[in-house]
Amino acid sequence: MKVLREIHLADALAVVLLIAAGVSFWLGSSALARAEDLKAFYWLAVGVVTVRAAVQVVRPGAKA
Amino acid sequence: MGVDSTSDNEEPRSVAPPRPRFAKLGAIGAAAQASVPGLYAWAVTVAPVAWSRGGSLFAKGAAIAGLAALGVGVATEGRWGPRARFVSVWGLALTSALVWLLVPAALGPLRLDAPRGILGMVGWGLFALASAAPALGADASSSGRIVDDEPLQPRVPIRRGDVVYIGGAIVVAVALQLVGWRVTVPERALLVRLVTLAAALAIIGAATTVSLARHARAVTPTPRSRFRAALPWLALVLLLAAGGALVGSR
Repeated sequence: MKVLREIHLADALAVVLLIAAGVSFWLGSSALARAEDLKAFYWLAVGVVTVRAAVQVVRPGAKA
Repeated sequence: MGVDSTSDNEEPRSVAPPRPRFAKLGAIGAAAQASVPGLYAWAVTVAPVAWSRGGSLFAKGAAIAGLAALGVGVATEGRWGPRARFVSVWGLALTSALVWLLVPAALGPLRLDAPRGILGMVGWGLFALASAAPALGADASSSGRIVDDEPLQPRVPIRRGDVVYIGGAIVVAVALQLVGWRVTVPERALLVRLVTLAAALAIIGAATTVSLARHARAVTPTPRSRFRAALPWLALVLLLAAGGALVGSR
């Protein structure tokens, strides 16, 4: 619980974005395995952008 | 200006004795340490292929040669030193690759189940780790410590939350590796493995950056400027999500 108290709003948003990125990558990989290429491309793009957003929230200008 | 940090009044720092278990592990050579996960990886991913239906005598010979390379590396480490590690690493890796090339059908998705594939990945990863970074042995002349200098003091204490960040990222990375083990087309299966590995690395890298950013809070901009800097990317996420929802609802 002490860990949760130390988390700022930006950190919380970054964690949520990271989890969303993980889910997106998982959906994209699953779609790629099922040969649904359009869905795979969409979810992988969402994952890449979400990872980038998570890093930018806590470290503006940094590269993911 | 050489300034000695230790004065005469200051007592020497107490050094914790090394744990006997790790000291024993460091006493054996690097090739011997790597031989255990190497043997495991060989038993899980090479031997079943060489002795599968369609495995030629040459493939069986190559598999045995890989096992022998591990043994030669262990046996000659005392005489050859670090060069013995090249024999075990390259001997096992090259002969294993030769076996897989000679019997490619044995690695097909219909004959290689997901648990064995994942266990094989773990085995080869541990073999690479033990070969590249073996446990170091303690020097008898340095009072039980590996480094002769004074113990380094951390500039920033590691917060407990970092374990949660990195642990969560590792869980996601491992979960991504469970995808795509039933793909029957080899090219697509390889593509899925590459994509999942790249995604796992991206997640771990981003989680590390997010975790480290908490320690440098004093030099980072204000929350408002941080959100402003991330706004284009957040907008892009929302745009992609809205577009996907729109297309999916049709």
